[in-house]
Amino acid sequence: MAIVAAHPATRPARLGLPLQRHPAAVRLALALSVAVLALLATLVASASTEQAVRVLSDALIADDTGAGHFPIEAATRPVSLPDDWMRSRPQLRDPAWYRLRFDAIGARERGGPLGVYIERACANVEVQLNGQRLHAAGRMSDPISMGCERPLLVLLPTALLEERANTLDLRLAGYALEQVASRQRAGGLAAPLIGPYADLHAIHEGAWWLKVTLPQVASATLLLMGLVVLLLGWWVRRESQLIYFGALSIGWALVTARLWWHGSELSNYHAELLLVSCVPIVAFTAVQFLLHYARRRSRPIEVALLSQCAMVPASLLLAGPSRVNMIATSWYMLLVLQVLGAMAFHLWITWHERRREFWAMLALLSVGASMVAIELAAQQRVLDPVWRALPNFAMPLAFLCMGLWLVHQYGRALHEAEHLRASLETRVRDATTVMERSFAQMAELRVEQVTQQERKRIAADLHDDLGAKLLTIVHTSESERISTLAREALEEMRLSVRGLTGKPVKLIDALGDWRAEVVGRLSQTGVEGEWQAPTEDVPQTLSARAYVQTTRILREAVNNIIKHSGASRCSIRCTIDAGDFQLKIQDNGKGIPLELDGRLDRGHGMSSMKHRAKQLQGQCLVESGPGYGTVIRLTIPLEKHTHSG
Amino acid sequence: MKTILLLEDLPEIRAWMKDLVLRVFPDGQISESARVHDALELVSAIKFDLALIDLGLPDGSGVAVVEKLRDTQSDCQSVVVTIHDDDDHLFPALQAGAFGYILKEQARELIAEQLQRMAQGEPPLSPSIARRVIAYFAEQTKPQANALPHVSLTERESEVLLRVAKGFTLPEIGVQLGLSRHTIADYVKQIYRKLNVSSRAEAALEAQRLGLFRR
Repeated sequence: MAIVAAHPATRPARLGLPLQRHPAAVRLALALSVAVLALLATLVASASTEQAVRVLSDALIADDTGAGHFPIEAATRPVSLPDDWMRSRPQLRDPAWYRLRFDAIGARERGGPLGVYIERACANVEVQLNGQRLHAAGRMSDPISMGCERPLLVLLPTALLEERANTLDLRLAGYALEQVASRQRAGGLAAPLIGPYADLHAIHEGAWWLKVTLPQVASATLLLMGLVVLLLGWWVRRESQLIYFGALSIGWALVTARLWWHGSELSNYHAELLLVSCVPIVAFTAVQFLLHYARRRSRPIEVALLSQCAMVPASLLLAGPSRVNMIATSWYMLLVLQVLGAMAFHLWITWHERRREFWAMLALLSVGASMVAIELAAQQRVLDPVWRALPNFAMPLAFLCMGLWLVHQYGRALHEAEHLRASLETRVRDATTVMERSFAQMAELRVEQVTQQERKRIAADLHDDLGAKLLTIVHTSESERISTLAREALEEMRLSVRGLTGKPVKLIDALGDWRAEVVGRLSQTGVEGEWQAPTEDVPQTLSARAYVQTTRILREAVNNIIKHSGASRCSIRCTIDAGDFQLKIQDNGKGIPLELDGRLDRGHGMSSMKHRAKQLQGQCLVESGPGYGTVIRLTIPLEKHTHSG
Repeated sequence: MKTILLLEDLPEIRAWMKDLVLRVFPDGQISESARVHDALELVSAIKFDLALIDLGLPDGSGVAVVEKLRDTQSDCQSVVVTIHDDDDHLFPALQAGAFGYILKEQARELIAEQLQRMAQGEPPLSPSIARRVIAYFAEQTKPQANALPHVSLTERESEVLLRVAKGFTLPEIGVQLGLSRHTIADYVKQIYRKLNVSSRAEAALEAQRLGLFRR
């Protein structure tokens, strides 16, 4: 069958991958191959060794005269079966009659009926026994029903049988080799087998399974798989080899349907024309598949292959009905060469780019080449035509493996893509989170910067304008009181500015500042000062506001001591207790005089000290009495969340 | 006789300052200036022993004059006289080479005393400035890629700084460490000098990094 010869070499290359990675698929393929070989062996064996079954290989042949029976009056000549018309009657296209004689001694006694089994009667046959028509089906004139691949089993009724010299007449209608593309469909008759019907039935069933059922199943499977792969490729254009493989698979299924398809309304010429025209399309998909799978695409090759698809039918039309075989065979050879070339190229690329897959590919290519060899040998009758069943079976299997492999790869790629997408999504989400966070931080920072800048500007303005004027008052005023007031105002302004530019202050730093100020001032004025405060392990911080207010309270208290108390000693004790900051200022001065209403003198700023403490959610207690000095106790809550050190 | 530069933009204050300086240094030769530009010209022309420099001036910061004096007249004592008491303003001036600072609004006697002390080599040092210096040198001694000629504080200097940061006065620290007032003053002077040297080295390195020295 030349159609097969055009392609078998392409299949094994694709088998390479599944062989390498799918031991299960390989085992299945091997098991099936062994089973088929065993079946073939049985067929061959049963045909030759069955005791009761006889082979009728001697016949008389005569041309049909249209009389409806063997033309006794016409010229007959002996012929040995199996007979090929191209050998026995090369130029003739009419039906031929074959007459075979056989004895059926003891047939009646033996019990079971006899039958005649004809392995191949191409294209259609009518069977007569002793002049009685036993079998006639399908058309006997163009388009003749195609029964070349359909083994025939006919029951020989015991009533019609003689003991000796039964006459079996076969009227065979068919086409000359020139009219058909494949030798497969050229007229011819296999040697009929005569024997017990039950034995022949078993042979017939096996042959039917191999020659009809198997190709049908293969065609249906390939068609289905081709559609699936085609659809997959359609949605993933990047994997263009899927489309071509799908098309190849479908094309193969359609072309090989000729094996079991026996009836059509088309004349033989048109049916052959249609079939042969399909082959270059299949070759086109095969070559494209090989190129695309190797990730090499060529526009010129594509165009050439497509124009070839038009040239094939054109050449057949030009040549006419009587040169179909010659033209088709030439084209098939060319197409086989093209596909072989594509395979070699594919292998070459694989060798250079995917070395891992190469040896399996090479091995399968060899298998493919042997398939071609078997097919060609069977075509040229070097091998028994029964071997042709092997490529008929192996090709669809190879297709199936390749298809499974492609789908597997597709699925894996899909899985990987899914995985990649998931990880990408996670990364994008992470990146987004980071970006959002840093954006928020930046915005915060920016706000802080702007605020800080603005505060600095205000502070600078205050220093430059208010500060300069107060300073002038300090140093030019005649009155010491006014100078002092202005100086205090300047200090207040500075403190306000510090509160304004407000970073939190570490409590340990604040204690240092306060100590330096208090001890410095007391020593300048000759008051003996004693400062007690923790100097280590003070992780707390003060808000700028708390720092400023406490500084003011402390400054006020020290002012009072220096100016009013007349004290000679003063002690300041700072403690941190249970989240509170406590400050105790004690002097040995004359105390603060009571006002008329019984409260402490406001001139000493007691109320403003208390007010400031209250603003900080703290309290300021003053104990004083004439003669025993003054004790000021200040308590300020420390912020819990500022324990950062 | 002392030559003295007085850079102050407010006329009343300048007059008052001049009066005060003359009281401390009766034979002082005072050159007055109200602008940075003028002061820089004076520095090019005259050799000064003492410079009293305001920071916020109409045409810029007095730090420029401090730097120029440091570069051209290393013997001159630059003293920053300012209304700003915060270390954000004072620290850059000290880094630039100022020997000390005086807050303007203080009483005349106090300022006179501080001037005198500085003239004797006893610069003032507040807790917040001390903390800045500590932080600055801590940053400098971090293992870094720059091959800076290393300036680091001695143990004693660090000790003095830590105690100042905690609020102890210099005389107190002298007592605590069993050192004389002069020795403590020397430490403080040394700290100021190192701060200046290190800052200059850092600035040079920074300039190099920015390619300013590439010709």
